[in-house]
Amino acid sequence: MLDNLLKIKFKNTSRGRITDKISKIVFMSATILSASFIFVIAGIIFIRGVVPFTTDNLGVGRVSLFHFLTGDVWLIGETFASNLYSIGFIILSTLFITLLSLAISFPVGVLTALFIAKIAPKPIAKILRIVIETLASIPSIVFGLFGAGVILKLVYDFSSSIGYQSKGGNSILSVVIVLALMTIPTITTISEVAIRSVDPAIEQGSLALGASKTQTNFKVVLSSAKSGIFTAAILGIGRSLGEATAVSLVAGGRRSGLSFDLLDTTSTLTTIMLEGLKETTGIDYDIRFSVGLVLMVVILLTNLMLNAIKRRVGVVHVKE
Amino acid sequence: MTLTNEKAFHINQLNLYYGNKLALDNIDIDIYQKQVTALIGPSGCGKSTFLRTLNRMNDLISNCHVNGKILYNENDIYSSDSDVIDLRRRIGMVFQKPNPFPMSIYDNVAYGLRCQGVKDKAVLQKAVKKALVDAALYEEVKDRLKESALSLSGGQQQRLCIARAIAMSPDVILMDEPTSALDPIATAKIEDLINDLKKDYTIIIVTHNMQQALRVSDYTAFFLLGEIVEYGLTSELFSHPKNPKTEDYITGRFG
Repeated sequence: MLDNLLKIKFKNTSRGRITDKISKIVFMSATILSASFIFVIAGIIFIRGVVPFTTDNLGVGRVSLFHFLTGDVWLIGETFASNLYSIGFIILSTLFITLLSLAISFPVGVLTALFIAKIAPKPIAKILRIVIETLASIPSIVFGLFGAGVILKLVYDFSSSIGYQSKGGNSILSVVIVLALMTIPTITTISEVAIRSVDPAIEQGSLALGASKTQTNFKVVLSSAKSGIFTAAILGIGRSLGEATAVSLVAGGRRSGLSFDLLDTTSTLTTIMLEGLKETTGIDYDIRFSVGLVLMVVILLTNLMLNAIKRRVGVVHVKE
Repeated sequence: MTLTNEKAFHINQLNLYYGNKLALDNIDIDIYQKQVTALIGPSGCGKSTFLRTLNRMNDLISNCHVNGKILYNENDIYSSDSDVIDLRRRIGMVFQKPNPFPMSIYDNVAYGLRCQGVKDKAVLQKAVKKALVDAALYEEVKDRLKESALSLSGGQQQRLCIARAIAMSPDVILMDEPTSALDPIATAKIEDLINDLKKDYTIIIVTHNMQQALRVSDYTAFFLLGEIVEYGLTSELFSHPKNPKTEDYITGRFG
């Protein structure tokens, strides 16, 4: 009897082992496939991206890497000259715009998430959740058209009212508003999941100490969810840094000179890759890969920095 | 054991419903000041639900409603002019599973006072130290008050939760199976602590452990199916139960 049972058990185990082995191979090949694409893409961008700095670009001349990274003129597609391609001012304005839009979308997104997760009555929360998820899935070109059709006009009217002649509303402010609108749904959705997964026992502990619901939400719930909320901010920043289509419709395509003036035109690393794309050879084309390379490095560095901060924030801190 | 007739709670014809389901049926009980009252009974008998009516934690459950009277120091806690935040400040609670906040040990204990608007550092420091000393935790954590409360062991976390409640200087401490998630040594420490704390506080403890009820409590109430079957001095209830159902339960014939 015992012998029989053992036999059955062994049989099942060996079959299980084969299934395990097969599924392991399937999973691994899927991973290798997707991971190798990342390397292929990064590799091609790198190979194309170094061309302007290593060749004389079909007679136009070699681009100086230092000048490329620090200069403040970007005259693509007009007169080909190696010293007209530089993105120092664009790197700075990209970071500035990303920070400003996060300054709007982060508080709005987190507070919306808190409202949906903890304060709104259940049926309303359900509707709001659908609304936010729909917003998150709207294609960026639609946000861009909305920006071009509505926000540009508002910004233009606003700047006229304070006696400032803006270029049709194309400005840092318009870009910041469009990006904030685009990142709020992302930040809200992810923060809401983080807030909802806070252990209700912790909340009850706070209420049982005589804390009000508002105190509980801000002091205990948000601080318990901070790791997830930080992830939301990281993804929001990623979306801001990487957005090209919508931004290019409201940025105004600044060609030279660093400006942090909110009503002045601007360019970002993504818009300059997109704008005026005609040729598929020569420096005018290759230099976009160089910009792409810089953008990838910027995103990588930002993520590393944010993750370092996240680890620090995750550690309990003492208010005293 | 001193017997007092000073009532902390006077409960009169209390009924509690979850939707249409009657969960507490006509509860009449007086709970005495500075005594330990144990609530025993099988799972689902309503003892935890009853405990949570005393600081109105059941308010958080949307389909729960209560009728009848709970007088706490002669005031009806369910009347419309009763301030639930003030009530919970005076009636502390310790939960089944330790639930420290994800903050430092110090901040956990100072939390309640800070929520009341206490900002003076000297006052906070004094209150935190006293609460930790009273909860018999100070010696173990005095060198690492700034470390995360989550780094403590389960038993230490539960004593921290007791310290957090004591820091508010409550009159009453409600304990909902406070040792069910702890090992025997940590349990013994909490039980010793309960014996010390009853000098200053009225303690009401829900427990599944008969021995624990016998060890720590002065009064015991036996709950069954939402009713109180028997209530009296612990020594009498365990040695001479009046109701055969009580006897069956405490001798382990069911439950």
